[in-house]
Amino acid sequence: MTSPAGPPPNPRIEALRHVVPSDTERSPHGYGIDTVEPLIAFSPDDRHDVAALLRAADEAGLVVVPQGGRTALTLGRPIARYDVALETRGLARVVEYVPDDLTLTVEAGVHLDALQQTLGEHGQYLPIDPPPDDHVSIGGLLATGRSGAWRGHLPAARDLLLGAVVAMATGELAKSGGRVVKNVTGYDMHRLHTGALGAFGVIVEASFKVAPLPPSTRTLAVRTDTLVEAGALAMRLWNAGLAARALSVLAPEIAERLGMTAVPTVLLELAGLEVSVDRSTQIVREANPTAEEPTGTPWPSLRRLHGDRVATVVRLGVPSTAVTETIEAVRAAGCLAWGHIASGAVIGHTASLDASVVERLRAFATERGGFLQLEAGSRALRTAVDPFGPGEVDLVRSLKARFDARGTLNRGRWMEGV
Amino acid sequence: MAQCGSVGGAGFGATEHRCYTRLDMPTNASPALLEALRRAVGTAHVLHAPEDLIGYEYDATIEHATPDAVVFPGTAEEVAAVVRAANQYDVPVIPRGSGTGLAGGTLAVKGGVIIALTRMNRIVEVDIANRVAVVEPGVINLQLQEALAPHRLTWAPDPSSQRICSVGGNIGNNSGGPHTLAQGSTVNHVLGLQVVVADGRVINLGGRVLDAPGVDLRGLMVGSEGTLGIVTQATLRLIAAAPDVRTLLAIFDTIEAASEAVSAIIRNGVIPVALEMMDQEIIKVVEPRIHAGYPLDAGAVLLIEVEGLAEGVAIEAEAVIDACRASGAREVRSANTQQERDRLWEGRKAGIGAIGAAVPAFYLLDGVVPRTKLPAVMHRIMELVEQYGFRCANIFHAGDGNLHPNIMFDPQEEGATQRVLDLGGEIMRLCVDVGGSITGEHGVGSEKRSYMEWVFNPADLAAMERVRLAFGSVERFNPCKVLPGGHGCASGHAAEIAAHISKPGVYI
Repeated sequence: MTSPAGPPPNPRIEALRHVVPSDTERSPHGYGIDTVEPLIAFSPDDRHDVAALLRAADEAGLVVVPQGGRTALTLGRPIARYDVALETRGLARVVEYVPDDLTLTVEAGVHLDALQQTLGEHGQYLPIDPPPDDHVSIGGLLATGRSGAWRGHLPAARDLLLGAVVAMATGELAKSGGRVVKNVTGYDMHRLHTGALGAFGVIVEASFKVAPLPPSTRTLAVRTDTLVEAGALAMRLWNAGLAARALSVLAPEIAERLGMTAVPTVLLELAGLEVSVDRSTQIVREANPTAEEPTGTPWPSLRRLHGDRVATVVRLGVPSTAVTETIEAVRAAGCLAWGHIASGAVIGHTASLDASVVERLRAFATERGGFLQLEAGSRALRTAVDPFGPGEVDLVRSLKARFDARGTLNRGRWMEGV
Repeated sequence: MAQCGSVGGAGFGATEHRCYTRLDMPTNASPALLEALRRAVGTAHVLHAPEDLIGYEYDATIEHATPDAVVFPGTAEEVAAVVRAANQYDVPVIPRGSGTGLAGGTLAVKGGVIIALTRMNRIVEVDIANRVAVVEPGVINLQLQEALAPHRLTWAPDPSSQRICSVGGNIGNNSGGPHTLAQGSTVNHVLGLQVVVADGRVINLGGRVLDAPGVDLRGLMVGSEGTLGIVTQATLRLIAAAPDVRTLLAIFDTIEAASEAVSAIIRNGVIPVALEMMDQEIIKVVEPRIHAGYPLDAGAVLLIEVEGLAEGVAIEAEAVIDACRASGAREVRSANTQQERDRLWEGRKAGIGAIGAAVPAFYLLDGVVPRTKLPAVMHRIMELVEQYGFRCANIFHAGDGNLHPNIMFDPQEEGATQRVLDLGGEIMRLCVDVGGSITGEHGVGSEKRSYMEWVFNPADLAAMERVRLAFGSVERFNPCKVLPGGHGCASGHAAEIAAHISKPGVYI
């Protein structure tokens, strides 16, 4: 045991030490969030220990912050209190993988890169590209529910999730869904937990529908003179039935940052059979003969910038036809700005933003039927601005009261008390 | 207990003889409640006379229950007013679309007020450029598809009942259909919902754009079978029609060989957009009526569709044909024109109705198994059917492992109904035992409440119950559905089957 030195023995923490094996305890140093360190940290490798820990913390009135790859801890409001760090990386088993069924069940601490490697050996993958990269845990990517450039062309993680097991503050493990690809048996509790930032429980196991790897992929960049021209071209290509996995519009500054010419650019990723990728390439070149394969790795760079947790990042969602003007608005606010046509997601990345600017951008998106989510930002900004914007409050509070009445899990990350 | 009668068919329209298991204890609505309902929706839109209620006491299952009243609201605010009236007089409300449900989801098993959403049938908006449609819940699935077709757009859910089922019902049940294989169930195609919740508020969940921030209450609401809220408007995500489509018909001597082909196709890396199975029994009832061109001597056929850019479609079709041949297909036909495609699909879509026209009664089951377990499970199902002395027609979404055995029987025959229910229970149990589930798209409703305990343990079910408690809807919204137990809920036949097949020597 790496027993932390310094603070006097805290009886409430001793209660936690009694319910899990001593070798799961970690020093709280290194588990800080927003410069706040927890009183104690645990990294259990058994889901029953996770459940026991939650129950003990709940009884002791301690606040637990579950964490996987620690890549999205600045998503949401600053946590109201932070007593216990619960690291999930010990939950690292692949429970079941049936390649012929295209189904996979893993524990929540498995990282996406390890999972993709396992699937890749059978010519398959989990078709998601969450920020910032594949070094994210399955539990974390589900709890944060974020998508990347593939979204809209491919499903979100929540749409691929067939079922889950969740540890609750009561100390129970609750299952929902199953391991078959189509299932309407009972409430989709796993959808409630996806994107819920651990407000109602800690995901310990997840089952997914996976997909065959596309035999061929190709990235094309098309330079244009104006953002309006880029947006119009992107909309035309979206309607051309291409074998596309991503279709994005880049403002000049982000194009330059990715190592391309500093002009408004349409960036596409084609994926599918080689003949389909070739035919799609031909269609793109017929629309604009300057289309070429860019050097460098633009997609991973965009993902990393979206998931940059030391910067300020906003994600706006707008109808596809409003993507271009939204990019322009985000750019005018001083951000690197790019947008994905099919999902209507527009990302802004900069060092810092005033709360008033975030609110202005939120109003811009809302007027167009959309929304703004603050993906990362300083503690002050995440206090001054509601990271998620308006939504149904009463039912969320009511659910929190039923699942975590004492506010043991991630207290305050959604809203006061939730 | 079971009683049989002859009525006009709900759902598929063709079944003439129906067998009922009475779950209800009919009561009459109080004059005060009726008055409140009339104030909420207008006198012309309230039914309460016993003869008027008959049409609302069943869906497409074999059970029925009589509501106290049926109301036909025209707006979300009227739905909310009905819910507030129900709160005041402490009666349940049950939302209902076209009544094509296959799990008893719209049965008023504790009486109460059926909120029929058939008047709320406007397509409010189609935003072609952004691929979004806003509709009221009573819009018929096929009407929506027909409105979208000229724009080369579709809404992915396409249940076989799409000529008559409503979008609201699709959302309530998280419905599937042949194209679920590629596109996923209804929940993947709903962006936002306007919902009336138990306290009578009208709230909005999700939005007009994918992945709205906040807790995904939209995802929880879809498929909750009217137990958490009543959808009064839905914002739907549309998909663009593919540039090219190819429909294939693969003909096999046995259903086991066709089942093997299903996995072989997908193992080759091709995920068709649809992969449907029809066995000999179904071909025998469909072909004389529809003339879809299915060979009458085939053991089973697979209807397979691939789509995309023409160049890719040609290659994928070849891969599918190879996989079918390697699994023993006698012949693989390719539809070359839209007319030929439509004819092949007509046989599939009309299949269930054709059974209804051909036999006195049938029990349509819905279960899911892992795709690779299909050959063994189909073999076992046919053994069980033979043991019970019935005939069974199989028409189902093979690519998803989503089974639909249709057990054909004569309800006039002594004890037949109970034996059919018993057999259905055994088949459900078989699905669970191979790692599958008790419903892939029809829902739990009242039919399968008791089977829930085969799939979930008490902690799992308690977590689901917490959701219902949080929504404040336990006694108000569609009570005695989805979750087992419940205050004052009749056990239903599933519980009897559960008890029956747990006896030694009966369930294998």
